[in-house]
Amino acid sequence: MGQQIQYALSQSAHRVLLKVASFLPGLVALLSAVILLTLIGAGLSALLRRVLTALKFDERIAQNQNPALAAGIQGWSSTNSPTVLIARIAFWLCVLLGFVIGISAFDASYSSNAQVSIYLLPYLSHATGAAILLLLGNLIARFLARSVLIGAVNAKLTYSRFLSLGVKWLVLVLTGAMVLDHLEIGGTIIELAFGILFGGIVLTLSLAVGLGSRDIVSRSLEKTAGPAVELTPPIPPAQRVGDNLRHF
Amino acid sequence: MTTSTSQSETEPAKISTQNDAPLIVLTAPFASEDEVNLEQILANLAHAWPGQSLRVATAGDATVHAASTSSNGINLITYPQSCVSTAAPLLTATDFVTAADLLREHDAQSCLMLGADAHTFAPEVLAAFSNALSQQAVDLAVPCYYLGAHDGLVNSAILYPLTRALYGTSPRFPLATDLGLSTRNLQRLAVSARRFVSANQEDALLWPVAEAAAAHFSIVEVDAPGRTLAQPATQDLNALFSHVLGSLFSDIEARAAFWQRVRIAKPQTAIVVQSAPESAYDAASMVAAFQLAYANLQEIWAIVLPPTSLLGLKRIAQLPPSDFVMPDSLWARIIYDFILAFHMRTINRGHLLGALTPLYLAWVASHLNVIAQQGSPSAHREAVAVAFESDKSYLVARWRWPDRFNP
Repeated sequence: MGQQIQYALSQSAHRVLLKVASFLPGLVALLSAVILLTLIGAGLSALLRRVLTALKFDERIAQNQNPALAAGIQGWSSTNSPTVLIARIAFWLCVLLGFVIGISAFDASYSSNAQVSIYLLPYLSHATGAAILLLLGNLIARFLARSVLIGAVNAKLTYSRFLSLGVKWLVLVLTGAMVLDHLEIGGTIIELAFGILFGGIVLTLSLAVGLGSRDIVSRSLEKTAGPAVELTPPIPPAQRVGDNLRHF
Repeated sequence: MTTSTSQSETEPAKISTQNDAPLIVLTAPFASEDEVNLEQILANLAHAWPGQSLRVATAGDATVHAASTSSNGINLITYPQSCVSTAAPLLTATDFVTAADLLREHDAQSCLMLGADAHTFAPEVLAAFSNALSQQAVDLAVPCYYLGAHDGLVNSAILYPLTRALYGTSPRFPLATDLGLSTRNLQRLAVSARRFVSANQEDALLWPVAEAAAAHFSIVEVDAPGRTLAQPATQDLNALFSHVLGSLFSDIEARAAFWQRVRIAKPQTAIVVQSAPESAYDAASMVAAFQLAYANLQEIWAIVLPPTSLLGLKRIAQLPPSDFVMPDSLWARIIYDFILAFHMRTINRGHLLGALTPLYLAWVASHLNVIAQQGSPSAHREAVAVAFESDKSYLVARWRWPDRFNP
């Protein structure tokens, strides 16, 4: 009995060690490809930045730019000059290439009918896509939050910060749900939770906007109903904003 | 007529020896109910150029205006309606391209572009334009409008002081809706305008005063009393403010190599326009809007403005509406910092210009309080311009060395 237990344990340990031994080369190949291409990308990025700076690339772009392209870039690029943008694109392309080569090497280290390659390889691809989704979602959330904040402040809304946070969390919740769905984690629980949370945030924002805009709505109703119906007293001329100012 | 030549003339414009009358381009379209205004304009033009044949180009259907053709030697020309800009009354790229094409087509020596409500131009003012373009042979004649204390606030706050400080020019209205242009100046502007039109940006704005200064052309300012300015088609201050300021900042960025070399040799002679006294304006609502913006946009302003400017804003945010006054030097530094942030793309440019709007409204509130206390809007306007000139070195230094420590 003891010998059988010992035999079973040694056999299972041997199988596990064999699987780990067959898994490790692929993992090392993946990490090596990523690290190597990252280093190459960093070097390429630095070289590109030096070359473009020496060529005064930014100044040439500013002088000869297509106004439509410039307007598009101005609308979306948040920071940095074209030189830095190109250098960063080159760096991240190399990192992405490293991941692709690494995943391909990881796949090549297994036979086509190996269990690990059937499950792990697609998961790595999904994980990469999920990371990109998360990054884009964060960028969009920050951009939209700032846009809403500035727009609400210029519209003299007192709850502008609340509105901005609401929009930001709406986008982040949506992004999180998409990432989890992409990774196939949670299933219907995530879908239900997202629906409840998203709906709750939208309802909260609607109530905030509706309750905060009562004066605007009542004045709008006054105008459509006509002079006979006055729900609120008219604002004295001295207190009206911007009536006598001509900015242009 | 008040004249002030801002730059030494390296090459004078061509002087016409035959018909000195310029080509008149009416940039605003005339509907059938505006026939009276068109007739008034034509009558004023005939009075300004007595005995001369005039060519007047206007947008719209020729048959609509056929009855308005005066018998006083005016040849009415129409150009297609599709060429008319949609950002009236501001002159856009489309207007300059149209004017340049008409100038070349009719072989005129100069061009006078008149914007909306041009029937309010007195014949004497039109004659002054004629004198500037033909006899003095200047390249650019810019009108000096006589506006009230509550009018043209963006021009008083930003456009005039900035243009004066950076380019050393004196015209009070760098974005005038009426211009007198020589052939070479208009052709030069048309080159820039065509670049915008080919990129489907027909409503892009051009800056003739900056363009003329950079080309060392002669500039003259013509007094235009009685001229009333039409309101912009869009009533959204935020959108129009971003449009105008975005165009101005882009133009400043493109001409950085020029304005960094311009030196202000002596204080500019102020053209003090006495505006009619107006009733005091309650700035409390604008101060409240600024305080709301200060509470919510501080983190955005902190990305753009240095600590000294933020401290200045903090101090004025605590002032009661009746004592709310923004120092001129603070306002100048704020504008210069926003120009730098626009150039360095510190934050998204649309967000940057949106964040500037509450600060501009704070300046307006301050301006109204200063007028109420001192009673002279032109004096405050000139003080702001002097502040911009004094702090130009700050802009130049930070433009060249953006990473230098800046408290």
